[in-house]
Amino acid sequence: MFLQTLITGLSIGGIYALMAVGYSLVFSVLNFSNFAHGAVIMLGAYVGLALATKLNFGFGLVLAGSVAGAGIIAVLNEKLAYSSLRRRKAPSLYLMISAMGCAVFLENLVYATIGSRFYAFPEFFGRQVVTMFGSSLSLLDVGAFLFALTAILGLHLFISRTRTGIAIRAGVCDMTMCSLMGVDLNRLISIVFLLAGAFAGVAGVFLGIKYLVYPTMGWVTNKAYIAAVIGGLGSLPGALAGGLILGVVETFVSTYVSSVLRDVFSFSLLIAFLVWRPNGLLGIDSEDKV
Amino acid sequence: MKALCVEDLNVHYGTIHAVQGVSFPVEEGEIVSIVGSNGAGKSTIMWAIAGVVKPSGGSIRIAERPMPSKPHEVVSMGLALVPERRRLFSALSVRENLVMGAYRRRNDERVEAEMERCFQLFPILRERLKQRSGTLSGGEQQMLAISRALMSDPRILLLDEPTLGLAPLIVETVMNTILRIREEGVTVLMVEQNATQALEISDRGYIIEAGRFIKSGPGPDLAGDPDIQKAYLGG
Repeated sequence: MFLQTLITGLSIGGIYALMAVGYSLVFSVLNFSNFAHGAVIMLGAYVGLALATKLNFGFGLVLAGSVAGAGIIAVLNEKLAYSSLRRRKAPSLYLMISAMGCAVFLENLVYATIGSRFYAFPEFFGRQVVTMFGSSLSLLDVGAFLFALTAILGLHLFISRTRTGIAIRAGVCDMTMCSLMGVDLNRLISIVFLLAGAFAGVAGVFLGIKYLVYPTMGWVTNKAYIAAVIGGLGSLPGALAGGLILGVVETFVSTYVSSVLRDVFSFSLLIAFLVWRPNGLLGIDSEDKV
Repeated sequence: MKALCVEDLNVHYGTIHAVQGVSFPVEEGEIVSIVGSNGAGKSTIMWAIAGVVKPSGGSIRIAERPMPSKPHEVVSMGLALVPERRRLFSALSVRENLVMGAYRRRNDERVEAEMERCFQLFPILRERLKQRSGTLSGGEQQMLAISRALMSDPRILLLDEPTLGLAPLIVETVMNTILRIREEGVTVLMVEQNATQALEISDRGYIIEAGRFIKSGPGPDLAGDPDIQKAYLGG
């Protein structure tokens, strides 16, 4: 029972972390909370759903298609809704408001075109289980956790080792100097949104398989936001740690305390962190930027 | 050939006319200094040449070619800026800062060679390679800022207040380095509050006051000019 709860928590936490990574990336570069991220996750799930049901694609192709689709949607979102604000050097609050507008717009676009029905993915994994230490664990849960872990580790290596990754971190420090080094900032920001969107696509597919696909499913990113704050907005290892902690805590609260209290607990955690530790567990020390 | 040619440069910040019709050439291989008090428009001229601040009038030509429209294309014209207060990528390591300086280089061997050239100028940087640049001392940070700019192998180097806040001994190191950089064939345009020392190593100098050049001449002559005091005290 304990191990099952832990694995369930880690798999949900892994999905939170995948979503939190997107928040964190955009936040660290453009300094605003991209509340349209949830809508991108939702659209990613619909892309995966279409590939799975209309074209009968297998899991691998569905995942790849959703990653590509959500990545492109995120880049378009930036080009259409944020880039002109950036060019006018608008305060980050304006970007956040624009992001909220995008979220509402995209959701209602889905309502108007696809409708409000709930859809389920075909059963890719059935009820397959893996047996570990005498407990039977859902293959989907174990798989989602391991996949999230690998993907975020991969992203971390990309950001810390490659030339483009170093440029992204340099941009986080000082955008103007970054462009003077010869970095095309528009291109760099597109890459950041492509990465955030790709992770949103993975999260969308896993969420859709685990639960259902519907227009407001993106609001679960509230949890990803909490995860990002716990870990420290702007920090990738923080997003991973925050996501896993939140997923595990939530699952244990709903299993051993009460499932009604789960969200009360999560949001209390958010408020507690914002008040007492706004930089999160692994957040970048803001003193450093002075 | 002129490394840089500024013609009737004007810059406005809203209604403030920060640079008012400034013109000057920089010949290849020269060290040219612009001196003047705070707020006289020195840094604005630098940012305009680097392509970050858009002029409201006039023209800037780098190596006889017009300025590109995007700041990230300026480095490809062979121009690099060491900005005021250094503006290092403080969360990045020394090595990563240097790698960023050579961002336009696709050739790893060239990057290593440029890095080696920086270590010749500032041996201490080799020992600090893995250290976060924000944790370096002020002098080391300035050395890194100059090195980061040199990594793009510029033909013309812009230095904005390179000795600001540095100990006198380090100021001398920086001045000597500037002379060495020129010996390697790099043209230098410098803006300084440390006027006398900067002018003494300069071929030519300009005194700027309230957005206009009020005097120009050979650097060492200008260093002893009474107008220097006037420019600083706002006479």
